[in-house]
Amino acid sequence: MRKNSALVKPDGLFRQNIVLMSGLVTAPIIVAATSAENSIILILSFFMITYTGILLCRFIPRKLVYSIRIVLYAVTAGLLYIPTILLLQKMFPTMSSDVVLYIELLAVNSLLLAKSETRFFLMPYGEMALDALMYVIGYAIAAAAVGVTREILAFGTIFGFRLFDPIVPSARSPFFGFILVGIFAAVCRAITGRRSAERRARAAKAARAVRIYNLDDDD
Amino acid sequence: MGAVFAKIVSFAMAAIFTQNAIFDRAFGANVAIYASRRDEHVVGFTLGITAMTTAASVVSYFLDGVILPLKYGYLFLPLIYVGIIGILYIIGLFVTWKFFHDTFKKIKKFVHLAIFNCAVIGALFLNAGYGGDIWSYIGCGFGTGIGFFLASFFLNIAHERLDSEKIPKLFRGYPIMMIYIGIVSLAFNVLVGYTGN
Repeated sequence: MRKNSALVKPDGLFRQNIVLMSGLVTAPIIVAATSAENSIILILSFFMITYTGILLCRFIPRKLVYSIRIVLYAVTAGLLYIPTILLLQKMFPTMSSDVVLYIELLAVNSLLLAKSETRFFLMPYGEMALDALMYVIGYAIAAAAVGVTREILAFGTIFGFRLFDPIVPSARSPFFGFILVGIFAAVCRAITGRRSAERRARAAKAARAVRIYNLDDDD
Repeated sequence: MGAVFAKIVSFAMAAIFTQNAIFDRAFGANVAIYASRRDEHVVGFTLGITAMTTAASVVSYFLDGVILPLKYGYLFLPLIYVGIIGILYIIGLFVTWKFFHDTFKKIKKFVHLAIFNCAVIGALFLNAGYGGDIWSYIGCGFGTGIGFFLASFFLNIAHERLDSEKIPKLFRGYPIMMIYIGIVSLAFNVLVGYTGN
């Protein structure tokens, strides 16, 4: 039996983060992630619609042509929206209509419609479930970072608790969302770039050690 | 007739400039970035999105009239809009495959990107939110497609510079593109009287 834990690839967290690196799902973060609470709503809805959608859509036969499959994926997400929004309305009764709009749009998000075909559905089920979860966690990291930063800047609060007077009231605007996501994308690239460089240096060092060992062996 | 035309144009203008799908709502921003990399993609995606938003707006106008007055009708909107887009997508693909085989070969790799994106379905949700008559739906749907063209065009003309050696490596490509969209978005906000409050 294959051990899934050994096969987990953390690509979705940073290296292929769908918000900060590939930009597959950006609209909800740019416009609606204006506070920590909104970010939590977006994360929960993304998990319930997209992640559950990926797990369910795996059972749609690949014998069907892609044009039909993509419609079925979107219909599945549209169906999952119903329990999701009912649950979120119970949990967050004051949820703004702007956030609801971006939850509705998740019916056609690219992680489910595109990435599932090119990556997730090519893997065994357990591996796929873990890999997709990494992508969802990557989305959650980006949503939380953007939401918390904007709440602090725009309202001077964190989870509603007042810290100081608002510093940049325009931080809740979409244009600021674009700029912030751009800056975070560069930060994310710096982190992953440094990690890759470290990994390459370690690999080169190991290769050098093996070469020296082989030379010694020849002698 | 003149009044109808004026209404369509005024709603289209609003969708293009004051409520641009990309710059004001970030609908389909990833698709616009993708389309902006090649000139022919800008035209192709615009045609696909404009045709779909306009046609889907007409159909959704009649269904909105039935669904929206219902107490829990809003719960089914994503499903219904996805259904509308899906049916129009399959009909469109079939017609293209049957009568324009060469065009079908060219578009089949990325037609789904032009149809199943936030810009298309977002236009339908905005229509439902604003209400109005069929002409406003058509104007808004058509304007969303043209607004997408405007945004893709702005990204297309800047693409080469934003991907050049002049940009620091960390920001080159996607990060600087987002910052650039942010700045253009701010300019569009100023156009409609953004005050910063």
